[in-house]
Amino acid sequence: MTSQSLKKEILITGFGGQGIVLAGQIVGKAASLGDHLESTLTQSYGPEARGGACSAHVIISDSFIHFPYVRHPDILVCMSQGGFDKFRHLLKETSTLITDQDLVHPGDVVCGDVFAVPATRMAEELGRKMMANIVMTGFFTAVTQAISFESAQRMVAASVPKGTETLNLSAFGKGHDFGVATLKGRRKKIEAVRGATA
Amino acid sequence: MAQLKIVLFVCNWGPHAAFQTLQDAGASIPPEVRMIRIPCTGRMSKSLLFRAFEMGADGVALVGCEPGACRYGSGTEVAERNVEDMRGILDLLGLGGDRLRQAMFLPEESDALLAFLQDFCKVIETIGKSPVIPAIQEEPVAADKDALAVLLTRHDILACQDCGKCSSACPVTLAGKPFSPRMLAGAVIAGDAGSESTRNNVWSCLTCGLCYDRCPSAVDFPGFIRDMRSVLKAAGVSGCEAHEGFFQSCMRTMTSPTLAVRKWRWLPEDIRLDPNGKRLFWGGCAPYFDMYFKAHLGIQTRDILVDSLRLLNFFDIFPALLDGERCCGHDLLWSGDRKNFLKLARLNVDAIERQGIEEVITACPECYRALSHDYPEQGIAVPFKVTHIFDLVDAEISKGAVGFDRLDRHLTFQDPCRLSRLEGRPDLPRKLLDRLNADGFTEMQDRGVSALCCGNCAWVGCDSFTKSLQVKRLRQAKATGGDLLVTACPKCQIHLRCAMEDPFIAHEIQMETMDLTSIVARTIRWE
Repeated sequence: MTSQSLKKEILITGFGGQGIVLAGQIVGKAASLGDHLESTLTQSYGPEARGGACSAHVIISDSFIHFPYVRHPDILVCMSQGGFDKFRHLLKETSTLITDQDLVHPGDVVCGDVFAVPATRMAEELGRKMMANIVMTGFFTAVTQAISFESAQRMVAASVPKGTETLNLSAFGKGHDFGVATLKGRRKKIEAVRGATA
Repeated sequence: MAQLKIVLFVCNWGPHAAFQTLQDAGASIPPEVRMIRIPCTGRMSKSLLFRAFEMGADGVALVGCEPGACRYGSGTEVAERNVEDMRGILDLLGLGGDRLRQAMFLPEESDALLAFLQDFCKVIETIGKSPVIPAIQEEPVAADKDALAVLLTRHDILACQDCGKCSSACPVTLAGKPFSPRMLAGAVIAGDAGSESTRNNVWSCLTCGLCYDRCPSAVDFPGFIRDMRSVLKAAGVSGCEAHEGFFQSCMRTMTSPTLAVRKWRWLPEDIRLDPNGKRLFWGGCAPYFDMYFKAHLGIQTRDILVDSLRLLNFFDIFPALLDGERCCGHDLLWSGDRKNFLKLARLNVDAIERQGIEEVITACPECYRALSHDYPEQGIAVPFKVTHIFDLVDAEISKGAVGFDRLDRHLTFQDPCRLSRLEGRPDLPRKLLDRLNADGFTEMQDRGVSALCCGNCAWVGCDSFTKSLQVKRLRQAKATGGDLLVTACPKCQIHLRCAMEDPFIAHEIQMETMDLTSIVARTIRWE
């Protein structure tokens, strides 16, 4: 770890029931238990967690965390349009926005970087729509590198219901592959490589 | 050093008189030269020229008449074309094109002929002896009853119920040839293996495997035919090799262990390779095909190899290549030469192992079948993984962030028999076809595991019946309303393109063809 303070405020939002809080738990636990950093998780609860926009606030840092709420997210993950609308005003110019490609239409948004992944569709292709959060976690791990791949993978296996580990790990892997491919595609674009023959 | 062998083919009409003058005058013709008198240099086909090298010649000179002086008009031009193509093939094989030379002399130019011969001998002396070890001609062994009985049980031929499903599906039977898988099976069971009709029928089969797919008793007819061919070949029965057996000659030549094949010298420079990589790209014989059919079809099947490599590079995979890559031997095995197939297989597996390769990627369905299936089945252990490029590309595309440019063509697809039927994977190319961003894709009437053969397999048995089968197939392709026929095997492309040359119905059946790998490589894009 560099001596510079490494602090990342991460806000994950979506519908209640999408597994937003579980995704937050996995990210936070991967950072603290796996990567030996400090992390906190604050989850929204109340009526909104039962169908409305729900959110999980994760903070990862290499020093003590004094305030557990996200003020301006470094990374905003949106798995529903409602979640995006509710929290978009918090975005900074350097924030990274990650959305579910089919569920969120961000329109014009001012922030550092925007990534989109068809997480729900990919989870459906794997046979279980409810794994969209795990696909998203895999994608998140690949594009932000806020947590290491190994710890995230271990936490996914430890956090999902017993008996579904293999399926969830394949969902995680799929999201991660998609993230790696997206980054590769961007790199190629910078290198002005488009196709295989041109 | 053993004496060099130089074969001199001399045209009967012009230069032979010059050669005779030299003989009469007792001129010092180099002793290495053995003269063979031929009617015209234009009649020395590529396969005949190559046969000399296969049999151990160190150099071949083709001496004929000046272009204007040819007794038959176009003989010299034909010979020039053949020599040019053959020199290309000799270069690919690593023998060196300089071992073949053409020259023209008038009857009175005996001195010039002598100078030519002396010079050519010097050239061959500097190149050295040919590394080709000629195959020893073995005494034919009559097919004994026990060997046939083993084949009958091994492929479960006795389970044939004579139901006729094979004959009603067999593309050769449907093309009108007096041939039927079950009749052949019945004849061999009845002990009639030696009769002429049985012998002919063994070479008529395309080994496309459609009968095996339809057979309710799962009689492995293609496997039976393959082994029958071996037995017949050993008994001295000649096969019906197409192109006068040129490709089989080529493959047998490659069984010489010291031959240093130079397969890849022509690759474009922008291809990125990793000579120490653990993944190997296995090309197949496309460069030889292009050289051989250059004058006839003008095909470019080696583009498939270039496009495959570009596609791998696109996904940041930098494969190794085997410069001394030999033929996989598929066609030798399926045309009855199991002994030389095994030699090739051992040489290939050794070479791949020596390079420390863990995975072999190939774009050729026959190489894929041979390496992954036939090698282990014939007792050659394969200590590496064999992957068809479609599998790899599909997995890479599934990772996402990849799209396809619009392709304003309506597609239809010719299944390669080795991948779609014998390996039972017709959905593999279709997964990629579905991903393409084309105008449309329409299947032909016969498709997938039921697809019709392109007309030939293992360079055996090309005749008017297979030609009519190809025409039928192309009519099916036309009937889809598509305008681009997608293939996945270089041979499908060669055979169907050949059928399109028909002077009478070309306008009805002509259709542009392109390999699936090339289409993918040329339209794939990062998103």
